Amino acid sequence: MTDLDALLPDGNYRSRTRTVVADVTGAEVARLSSVPTLLVSRTIDTLRAADPLDLDKRLAALRHAGELFAGGSVDGMLAEDYFRLAARIGGLPIAVIREGAAVAVLRLAQIGKSLDSARPHGAVTDWRDPRVHEGSAVWTRRGEVFSVHASGTHPGAHSLWPEALAMGYRVAVRPTRREPLTAYRMVAALRAAGFGPDQVVLLPTTQAAGDTMLTSADLAYGGDDIIRKYVDDPMVLQQQPGRSKILITEDVDWRDYIDVIVSSVADHAGGGCVNTTGVLVEGDPAPVAEAVAERLAMLPSLPPEHPDAVLPVQQLVSAQALDRFLLSQAHGTRAWLGGEGILHDLGDGSAVLRPAVHQVDRSDARQLGVEMPFPCVWVGPWSRADGIAPLADTLVLTVATEDERLVNQLITAPGIGNVYLGQHPTYWTKPGLPHDGYLADFLMRTKSVIRDR
Amino acid sequence: MTDILDLPFDVRPDPDEFIQAAMKWHFSPETGSPFWLRRAETLDFNPRVDVKSHHDLALFPNVANELRDVPVRELLPRAYGIDDVLGVFESGGTTGAPKRVLCTKDWFAKLLDWSSANLDQFGFPHGVDWLGVLPTGPHIVGELFRRSAAVRDGLGFTVDLDPRWVKKLIAQGRHREADAYAEHLIDQVEFVLRTQDIGVLTITPPLLDRLARRSELVDLVNEKVKAIRWGGTQLDPDTQSMYRHEIFPNVTLYGHYGSTMILGIAGERADLADEDPCVFDTFSPYVTFAVIDPKAHRPVHYGERGQVVMNHVSKALFLPNNLERDLATRVEPLPGRVGDAVADIAPVVRFEDEEVIEGVY
Repeated sequence: MTDLDALLPDGNYRSRTRTVVADVTGAEVARLSSVPTLLVSRTIDTLRAADPLDLDKRLAALRHAGELFAGGSVDGMLAEDYFRLAARIGGLPIAVIREGAAVAVLRLAQIGKSLDSARPHGAVTDWRDPRVHEGSAVWTRRGEVFSVHASGTHPGAHSLWPEALAMGYRVAVRPTRREPLTAYRMVAALRAAGFGPDQVVLLPTTQAAGDTMLTSADLAYGGDDIIRKYVDDPMVLQQQPGRSKILITEDVDWRDYIDVIVSSVADHAGGGCVNTTGVLVEGDPAPVAEAVAERLAMLPSLPPEHPDAVLPVQQLVSAQALDRFLLSQAHGTRAWLGGEGILHDLGDGSAVLRPAVHQVDRSDARQLGVEMPFPCVWVGPWSRADGIAPLADTLVLTVATEDERLVNQLITAPGIGNVYLGQHPTYWTKPGLPHDGYLADFLMRTKSVIRDR
Repeated sequence: MTDILDLPFDVRPDPDEFIQAAMKWHFSPETGSPFWLRRAETLDFNPRVDVKSHHDLALFPNVANELRDVPVRELLPRAYGIDDVLGVFESGGTTGAPKRVLCTKDWFAKLLDWSSANLDQFGFPHGVDWLGVLPTGPHIVGELFRRSAAVRDGLGFTVDLDPRWVKKLIAQGRHREADAYAEHLIDQVEFVLRTQDIGVLTITPPLLDRLARRSELVDLVNEKVKAIRWGGTQLDPDTQSMYRHEIFPNVTLYGHYGSTMILGIAGERADLADEDPCVFDTFSPYVTFAVIDPKAHRPVHYGERGQVVMNHVSKALFLPNNLERDLATRVEPLPGRVGDAVADIAPVVRFEDEEVIEGVY
């Protein structure tokens, strides 16, 4: 049994009160410390009082941290051991975690470039830049301390917020109790790579102390219960379900897109916000649903640490709850896969969440927004008369069409995050591109600055 | 016949004789309250005959909800006059409409003697002034605060706290407003602490936490305050340890766990080791707890978690079998006491279909 300490400015903190972290069978594998409110507010004060490292040091440390995270020994834990334990705790297939870690390496290595992409064209990064003598926009932080309330268990969820460190923020991370290991490893790796303990901290907390963490920091982002409570606050950015979708119009042969649909739904274990939740087809959606169901049915049911595992696993009790929830949501739809339930009981207290494919009969069916933490897709009809309204709430949209006017509409639609034209799965990305807008859009601002000499 | 009900706080009656005498008092037409005399007609047992010991209190129904509507004068035992009443007090109002009870002067004097002796055990000073950050009314804690200061030769300064409003703000998701209210309270604390020589501070753990975030207030407390009495919500052991070792190293900390529904408090057990959880002992046999499994309606084992049932049995009030909103670990009582001691108290998340919200209270 491992102890996951809080990582505070003056070192590791182990509380008397600790919560159990269990693996997918319900067996205890770690105890997570909990930082009391008072220590949370003191920690945030310490972070605020600290100066950030110089930019080049920050970028070098971020690069090094990514390498440590994905391949090194962090706090005595080898990468392979981390992959395996994270798979056992969070239930994501080990291959997904390994790949997520590899993506983290790339992201952290290229954060400098990403920031250049995000910075307004006319703004300089430092008031000492010679252009400021003539007057210039300077890109500056909106605050000093950034509070991260991560709810995801995928390493990808912990390779986005380190950008804030590159911007000079001091960062406090509240891990999810469900899988705190990934957050722990990222914070520990950042520290080992050169960020001081007064630059980045791991703050596992209760609800009440989580409130204090958010309200004491300058800006906050994430998807946990605390963020939900403060979602109306302009200094809070909520990570929401992606409800990513694929649209295929009649001028394209849908058969060419089955691979894209299947991988968009199921790759990375299908639980991400960039995994496809809805597919809209101009014409009859039934053959598309049938073909997708046939492919997804072949995915194997394996425990998460198995090298060939591709589907997520959860404790049986929570898996059963998801199963019931899906059943209630699917009422009135036509099931092509998973209509009889999506569980594969592994017999050790855990269950694989198998894919589900349902057909809805309208493009505005409510189910198209029902995102599940496993491969689950709703396939429905779409017509020109429906317009782009059914796509209004979509993080990533892959669209297969020859209709340029439609593409124009989709590109400018405010409710659609990213638009991929043609054969690109909805989870596609590369470093330097915005995920849901740039994080810098939220964390940075421009200021006019002029100086005499 | 009622001598055993009039003992001083430090003379412990035989628990069975005490209960039997109390049953005679509350269920005799000459002495009992209109409320209980009427209610007795609906019971399928005779309290004066069938209730022989503390355990038999479990025979009674939980009438606490009836205290939301009953005209409060009907709770006063007939042997008392209105002159004997100290005041009307209400429960926190966390779970719906408030419940009301009457407290008599004789009971309160006894409670105060007991409570003051506890403070002596913890080394609370006499002759210093007190500052209380708490509801000054209608809960009983405000009365207890003022009289505790007075009985120990101190003046009582108060900053009034309205827990019902805080809970409403939190229930409505108005977290920033709740935050601002709490800061407003601490601002008021600062005025008193700066100008007055405060030796004892009575405060809730969430507000003590906020106070401790302001370093100038921490300095003032360390300079002036000898002892802090906390209550109203729980102080977690990690925060307690920070206060003891880092923030208020020379200040005595003493917790109490109370409810208006028991007309009093349970006090922290003295001489606990630093790593022990905070254990609360009741003013037995007048106030007693049972930690039960609410579904099975039977006590949990020592060391296990359950829901707290509170009993108050005195001349002034009879309120048995009141299922409270809190969960606790059942702890063995001190020798010679009846009922359970409790530790690690935490609110039940849902209670009678209304979410329990703690807030700053």
